[in-house]
Amino acid sequence: MADVALIGNPNTGKTTLFNSLTDKYAFVGNWTGVTVEKKVGTLKDSDIQVVDLPGTYSLNPLTKDEAVVTNYLLANRPDLILNITNASQLKRNLLLTIEVLERGLPTILILNMIDDLRRSGQTYDLDLLSQRLGCQVTTTNARGHQGISQLRQQIINYQDVAHHRLQLDYPPMLKQAIRQATEALQDDYHYDNATARWLAINFIDQSRAIRAYAKSHQLAPLLKQAAYYDAQKFSKQIYETRLTFIEQLLKDAAQSAVSNEPQLTSKIDKVVTNPILGLPIFAGIFYLMFKLSFEWVGTPLSDRLDWFLSVPVSNTVDHFLIQVGALAPLRSLVVNGLIAGVGGVLAFIPQIFTLFACISLLEDSGYMARAALVTDRLMQMIGLNGKSFIPLIIGFGCNVTGIMAARTIEQPKERLVTSLIMPFMSCSARLPIYGLIVAAFFPHHQALIVLSIYFLGIVVALLVAKFYQFLFHVKERSVFIVELPEYHLPRLDIIWHGTWDKGKGFIKKAGTIIFAGTVLIWLLSSFGPSGFVTDSTKSFAAALGHGLAPFFRPLGIVQWQAISALFTGILAKEVITSSMMVMFHTSSKAVLITALGQFMSPVAAYSMMAFVLLYIPCFATLATIREETGSTKWMLFSVGMSLLIAYVTSFLIFQIGSLIV
Amino acid sequence: MINHHYTLHSFDCLNKPTASRLHNMGLCEGCPIKVVQRYPFHGPVIIENNHQRIGIRYRDFAALTEAEV
Repeated sequence: MADVALIGNPNTGKTTLFNSLTDKYAFVGNWTGVTVEKKVGTLKDSDIQVVDLPGTYSLNPLTKDEAVVTNYLLANRPDLILNITNASQLKRNLLLTIEVLERGLPTILILNMIDDLRRSGQTYDLDLLSQRLGCQVTTTNARGHQGISQLRQQIINYQDVAHHRLQLDYPPMLKQAIRQATEALQDDYHYDNATARWLAINFIDQSRAIRAYAKSHQLAPLLKQAAYYDAQKFSKQIYETRLTFIEQLLKDAAQSAVSNEPQLTSKIDKVVTNPILGLPIFAGIFYLMFKLSFEWVGTPLSDRLDWFLSVPVSNTVDHFLIQVGALAPLRSLVVNGLIAGVGGVLAFIPQIFTLFACISLLEDSGYMARAALVTDRLMQMIGLNGKSFIPLIIGFGCNVTGIMAARTIEQPKERLVTSLIMPFMSCSARLPIYGLIVAAFFPHHQALIVLSIYFLGIVVALLVAKFYQFLFHVKERSVFIVELPEYHLPRLDIIWHGTWDKGKGFIKKAGTIIFAGTVLIWLLSSFGPSGFVTDSTKSFAAALGHGLAPFFRPLGIVQWQAISALFTGILAKEVITSSMMVMFHTSSKAVLITALGQFMSPVAAYSMMAFVLLYIPCFATLATIREETGSTKWMLFSVGMSLLIAYVTSFLIFQIGSLIV
Repeated sequence: MINHHYTLHSFDCLNKPTASRLHNMGLCEGCPIKVVQRYPFHGPVIIENNHQRIGIRYRDFAALTEAEV
């Protein structure tokens, strides 16, 4: 089976192209760093495997996700490389192209977003580009599905793609150094000429990934000369030679076309990146998102789905089980356990999907990069930068993907702090329980109360980040360079893909961990020291809840049901809701809402929401923190810190709130 | 000043990752840029070069155009 690798700068439409070419789709967003790990798909109607690598500016990686590309080229030999470029920004895109072409593998250069280039009044002589670079050149507009079938055909005929190796005219001393290192690597380490030369050039160019590779493989000819290469400032010469070559090439290949540029991006940017209006617009967009999800669209749909699951579905299944003569515990497990618990969580799908659709829309349009920019000054105050902001926003969907997205942050300590504050971003799994509580206690201000909880999460995250900055003695200067892509008119299919990609995990979890958690809580609440109990106050869950009650009393949480639910919520936050459903023996949200109202005061309810927001992250998040930070210590640190912060915050809310209300 | 044109001077005062990233984006010594937007309290600066818009920190911008700011 043939392997085709997609390599390109961030924001060149790589993932959109990947989705058009393959059967499987990857997630697309109009901001830097959408693909944080390589994705693999199969070219439609063929057995050719296409690998979508994270966007990178260079094979000298600065971030963890960029390193994926260089490491891929070190470990693999794809049959064809598709180098995707943004046709409007060819100068800087070709810097990467040269690095790729020097690898000496068959390559097709794709000028994507060709329509944007034409609109700006320019085109290029493709034959000249092809001749000077020594590779095939083709144009596409992946968003408009133009040029895709032709490219597909070129990929299928990958064996016809010639592999000339680009040989730039480096200065004589540098050329000699490259030649000597290449020969030594060929003779002593048996690399083929192309690989040896590529390794030599990138080593001389101070690529961190290649230097690490040379060290681990003990490539003495390179290691011995490192000091000499650096002293001669060869890296600077390499850059200058490449840039001169590109500038000359583009000058020779440029052709003008009729310009009809509407300057849409500049017009929108005048408003949304305005120094004064920028932040209010950002807050307004988020308020609108929450209004849509919790008042205008999401909630009415959720209510209908809830009615459907708790009345017709629950009753039909119950009658069926009675008819077939099922045992009482089995009927209780299915109706009060599974339908109530899993169904109770599924009823929130409309709200969650509305929120995800809004986030996908912002990503696809190109607004996210602007959000990073307008929030940078704010983030700078807490020692992070605007780039941390995007992963944190993604964390609203799911903390796990948020932590993965933090890989695009250049500075390691900023990346660590971003990962550690991620659990305070209120993920979608916590929405169902907020939904219940606001419906029960704050029916007239649902969106506002939920928004306040989200803001509480943000404020706590910012304060903790500031504290960590002090704790970890962060001294290195931050790296903040954010590219502002052209705005795109959102496309429905891309938004749907983004929404589904974020939301499918939620549905999958309903069938696995929430299902398991529901069965667990049903067992705990249906069995007690005396066996199967119909009165749940005599169950194990009640005993557990009563046992932990002294710990929770200062927070205003005194009901054993709520305490047991919080306990099982560590599995996955959705389980809190399903546990409540099971323990209150209801499959109807409406019934639970009425029951909750009699149990606690609004202040205690708000304190509980804050506790749910801040306490121990779910298992999946903890596992990701361990994986991304590479240490169990940080995972345990996260558990301890979040529990402490949750306790203190809820304590303050309840104690101060009780005095006021 | 907004819409003012500058020439990038020295990359030496920047930290290494910042300088590399700007180089990767095709920005180098002697490159002309235009300031599109500036944020108050020494917030980020949006610069335009070669049809691309990039947001950078004020401190880096000041270092790059030292003679003119």
